[in-house]
Amino acid sequence: MATLQDPLELSAPAASRVPSRSTLISLRAALRRNWLHALLLPLLGLWISPLVWIVVTSLKTRSEVFDPHAGFLPAVAQWSNYAAAMAVAPFGTYLINSVLVTGGILICELVTITLAAYAFARLNFPGKNILFTLFLLQIMFPIYATFLTNFVTVRELGILNSLPALVVPFVASGYGTFMLRQAFRQVPTELADAARLDGCGHLGILWHVYLPLVKPTLVAFSIIAVVTHWNDYMWPLLVTNSESVRTLPIGLGLLAKSDSGADWTRLMAATVVVVSPLLLFFVIFQRRFVDSFMHAGLK
Amino acid sequence: MVTGSGLRARLSEAGLAYCLLAPSLLFLATFTYWPILRSIYFSFHDVMLGSDKIFFLGWENYGRLWTDSLFWKSLANTAFYTLVTIPSAIACALLLAVALDSKLRGMAFYRSAFFYPVMIPSVAAGMVWVFLYAPGYGPINDALALLGLPKLEWLYDSRTAMFAIIIMSIWKYSGYFMLILLAALQMVPSDLYEAARLDGVPAWTRLIHITIPLISPTLYFVIIIGLLHSYQIFDYVYVMTQGGPADATNVLTFYIYQNGFQYQDIGYASTLANVLLLFVGGLITLVALVFGRRVHYLGR
Repeated sequence: MATLQDPLELSAPAASRVPSRSTLISLRAALRRNWLHALLLPLLGLWISPLVWIVVTSLKTRSEVFDPHAGFLPAVAQWSNYAAAMAVAPFGTYLINSVLVTGGILICELVTITLAAYAFARLNFPGKNILFTLFLLQIMFPIYATFLTNFVTVRELGILNSLPALVVPFVASGYGTFMLRQAFRQVPTELADAARLDGCGHLGILWHVYLPLVKPTLVAFSIIAVVTHWNDYMWPLLVTNSESVRTLPIGLGLLAKSDSGADWTRLMAATVVVVSPLLLFFVIFQRRFVDSFMHAGLK
Repeated sequence: MVTGSGLRARLSEAGLAYCLLAPSLLFLATFTYWPILRSIYFSFHDVMLGSDKIFFLGWENYGRLWTDSLFWKSLANTAFYTLVTIPSAIACALLLAVALDSKLRGMAFYRSAFFYPVMIPSVAAGMVWVFLYAPGYGPINDALALLGLPKLEWLYDSRTAMFAIIIMSIWKYSGYFMLILLAALQMVPSDLYEAARLDGVPAWTRLIHITIPLISPTLYFVIIIGLLHSYQIFDYVYVMTQGGPADATNVLTFYIYQNGFQYQDIGYASTLANVLLLFVGGLITLVALVFGRRVHYLGR
């Protein structure tokens, strides 16, 4: 539209050379509108190529994987790889367990971090800094150094080889508390003061003012917590020994550590299966970012 | 009279705070502080995995660190990995977050595409990249050959192995930091940008002088979390290189694992874990002193 009013274009000769000035101008306009795409698309290609490789490999035959002349795509899509991968372990039970454990951890964490983060962000009390450092200590300490002791603790509690054993070490989260405290401190104090004048107590303010305003952070934390615990491998491996309480990554581990080395086609098929529910979860929840209720909320 | 009611209010505020912290502290005490105390106790003893006998050693395990060249090497490797990975991944994440905060066509797809590496289980991700880097049939070397560049040995060459792990880490973590920064951008009042845009402030200046200061608490959070994560890198070393070749990718957590589970020396492994904790604590304090003061909170 804009190029029509461009004097340069109006004065251009009818039979112009190639490329004509008008196409150059509209090309530049298109580039100006879409420069972000021009920047992001090559990056996107780099980022998704491993995923493409995972999906393509999950549909190949074993010999195709190592044959340099076999071409990029499988000659015939081997859907049976998925059935073969799923036959290695009772993946249905694993899936239910993964949902129960991840959901249980998330709900407990959301409660504990909300309460603690509010105390650190908005209340004054003796020992605040020391206690906050103690919370950070949980993020700092290499988890591999606490596994042995925690295993003993869980055994003493008598919950070894049960679903609660997979949940309890992760109920408190220094990480989530820190993340939410940063978000709470971003909320203008005037909003809380206004609510207090209306007769709201601390818990009322937390529920009615703070939580709605930090929704993007709560969503981001939830996504990260679910991804972390859905994929946790070491801890479930340590504290469970029966099929009925094991989770999806254990099934994946069985495929990755088979005696004949990694069976690429089946391992990649199982990876697709384990990641798919997460991808769905992510797509649903990141929609909540897109409905930017926040911009209106803070104005 | 003012002081009396003020004191009572302050006391009740403290009481409320402790009640709010109690559930977290109960679980932290059981599953974090108790193991840490135990690990400090172990570091002064000779403790072997699978044996009930414990001998008091005093500072001997700590003295051993000074002459242990592999300890220094793993420390240097860890620091190098952190110094390259964290700034690159955070810069990448910040640009992605700013780009994907706007109203862009296909934005949901972009976000999913940059975030999905976070969702791949680390065991699987490590194995995928072993394959991608494979000198004989790996697609990365094919791509290099296509561009007329020499093929590399990647994970089998001590000069490139660490870079191979760094490249995959940037791929794996950028989306993670992007998501956190995106959440912060969503919380920033949009009228500030609008005003700047109407005043004709260029995009780059808006980023440096408006966006970054406004999300500085989250940026600070991401830097700290990035440091803590990178110091604990373990899975990829375990899956991809086992610390090799020639200990080029041996990092502290892997060295702790080697001592604890392979040489079964829990005492020395605990000592290393405590030293790691001290180093990370020192580093966090440094970051807090340098960046913490510049963080701008809207609420204060």
